[in-house]
Amino acid sequence: MTAAKWPFDSVLVANRGEIAVRILRTVQSLGLKGVVVFHAADRKAPAVTMADAAIEITGSTPVAAYLDSAQILAAAKSSGAGAIHPGYGFLSENASFARAVEAAGLVFVGPKPEQIELMGDKVRARNFVEKAGFPVAPSAIEDDDPKTFNARARKVGAPLLIKPSAGGGGKGMRIVRDLSTLDADIVRARSEGQRYFGDGRLYVERYIENPRHIEVQVLGDAHSNVVHLLERECSVQRRFQKIVEETPSPALDAKTRASICETAAGIARKAGYRGAGTVEFIFGQGEYFFLEMNTRLQVEHPVTEQITGKDLVHEQLRIAAGEKLGYGQAQIQSKGHSMEFRIYAEDPARGYTPTTGPVLVLQPPAGDGVRWDSGIAQGNEVTAAFDPMLAKLIVTGTDRADTLARAEKALAKTVLLGCQTNTAFLRRLVQHPAFIAGDVHTGFLDANPQLAAEPSLSCATLHALLGAAALLTRPMRDVADAVPDLHAAMGEWRN
Amino acid sequence: MHHAFRIGEREHNVELSRGANGYRLHLNGATVTVDLKTAPDGRKWLSVGDLHVEVVVATRGEQVFVHLDGVAYELGYQHPLVRLAATGHGAADDAVRAPMPGAIVSIVVKAGEAVSQGQTMLVMESMKMETTLTASRDGVVEAVHFGIGQTFDRDALLLSLVAGEPK
Repeated sequence: MTAAKWPFDSVLVANRGEIAVRILRTVQSLGLKGVVVFHAADRKAPAVTMADAAIEITGSTPVAAYLDSAQILAAAKSSGAGAIHPGYGFLSENASFARAVEAAGLVFVGPKPEQIELMGDKVRARNFVEKAGFPVAPSAIEDDDPKTFNARARKVGAPLLIKPSAGGGGKGMRIVRDLSTLDADIVRARSEGQRYFGDGRLYVERYIENPRHIEVQVLGDAHSNVVHLLERECSVQRRFQKIVEETPSPALDAKTRASICETAAGIARKAGYRGAGTVEFIFGQGEYFFLEMNTRLQVEHPVTEQITGKDLVHEQLRIAAGEKLGYGQAQIQSKGHSMEFRIYAEDPARGYTPTTGPVLVLQPPAGDGVRWDSGIAQGNEVTAAFDPMLAKLIVTGTDRADTLARAEKALAKTVLLGCQTNTAFLRRLVQHPAFIAGDVHTGFLDANPQLAAEPSLSCATLHALLGAAALLTRPMRDVADAVPDLHAAMGEWRN
Repeated sequence: MHHAFRIGEREHNVELSRGANGYRLHLNGATVTVDLKTAPDGRKWLSVGDLHVEVVVATRGEQVFVHLDGVAYELGYQHPLVRLAATGHGAADDAVRAPMPGAIVSIVVKAGEAVSQGQTMLVMESMKMETTLTASRDGVVEAVHFGIGQTFDRDALLLSLVAGEPK
């Protein structure tokens, strides 16, 4: 399709960071114009530099700017953009925004608003999936009868998981292992839900011990064609947030893979789903249950692209333009193995707490099978204003062992100085016997805290670090250089 | 009077002197030859004893960053005079610092108010979670340094306590 055939000739990216860069790359490669909005805190970000046009937006906080749909619509209007791609997070799963975009006569690159609404309400989504005959975990929903909620939650039994009805992304979720703390945990979860989503309604569901997180990429067009693009496993998590994702999953045999992928496609088909989406499952003891459906592009979409050869942003744009998929399930083939590592500004040894600082040096890794999706550049500043994910390292190999070997090298070659990141931790992870064996679950990092701890320095490393630091520190070098060479030579000789 | 670098929680005393070839690093009674050279292509090579290894380095103020053997390290330079001046200033408990970067969700106490050990003083949010900061001892709130919704970096001074009666 040439640019002239698109119903829009420019696309506004209503996002920031690595995903804004990622979307712009495809938009521009298709001959379309790429526009971004940005908050002043992102003025020097790569997406702003790369875009054909960049429009500044403001807000009481930097995040608030990217959530301000009125400003973003005004930016689309003033720049003449014909479509808006929301990326992930921010307004990507906001049905009112999708409606407002369409009401303004623009194309929303995403599902229909009612599909966002259905899947965005975790309770409605769960009921929808259950009613359609797909597997869901035992649960209690506050809305069914708020008065008996605590009693019904108690009946689900420990361990259980409390979730905000309006939630997603791990926000406000709590595991309860001891029912004596249930009432207090419900109160706290409600307060968090109220604050994050403006909605304190909750539900609880059975918590599966040592579960694995398996999700399936789906694509649907506006003509009722749906395919899946196989699974991704995202079991390595901290605080319910993914750190490493891979495909294929080492946990699935061919039969389970076919079953879980067909279930995901079935759910999308039942919803008449349009666009790119992800159906998430909890998998344990050979069983899987529907968790939620994300009605947007996922952070970890690149691993699917690497093994299927499909550019998911291109597919999203084609679907948004009203095109048919043009291929069926049989045409989706996978080749090799791919793994994504999220590079976070955080300190694993201090409970994975976020870190901040300047990006003094940035040398991304390169090489065969190495992809670097990044939203930062040397000279940028990492602040507490945004999510601590800085970049994604995607490594693809012929099989899992090959991918792990390449990943270890690529992580070692990733140089970022000035702000601490989790790359050394990720290197320890890919060398861990359980991870190498694919024997992980969502509680893996909690169960292996030694992975997060910083190993003690060897004598040789300590000497090298102190030597380099002393030579780079002016007051120390000045003192050393103040001693005349002759005396220094004598000192050497006397030794 | 020693120069020192902090790595993580630990401090290491070091001295540097000029050698016949390059420099000598003195630490813990040991002496090792060290040098840092920039090759024509701009890459930096560190020599330590018999070890010869490529490094990537950066500095910012008193901080030194070194990427060595696939791992990034941060060292904080401690100037002898600054260290001398800092000794004797204690009562670290009186400064309530941020354990991580985040934002203030709610402030329960105000300046001049008496607090008792374990009492909730403020609630912060980071990583999508709430963390409650409590008083480490009995005292009086001297000042609250941030307002609701304000963001801060790790180790930022959020609140200070003083001994004594409420005002």
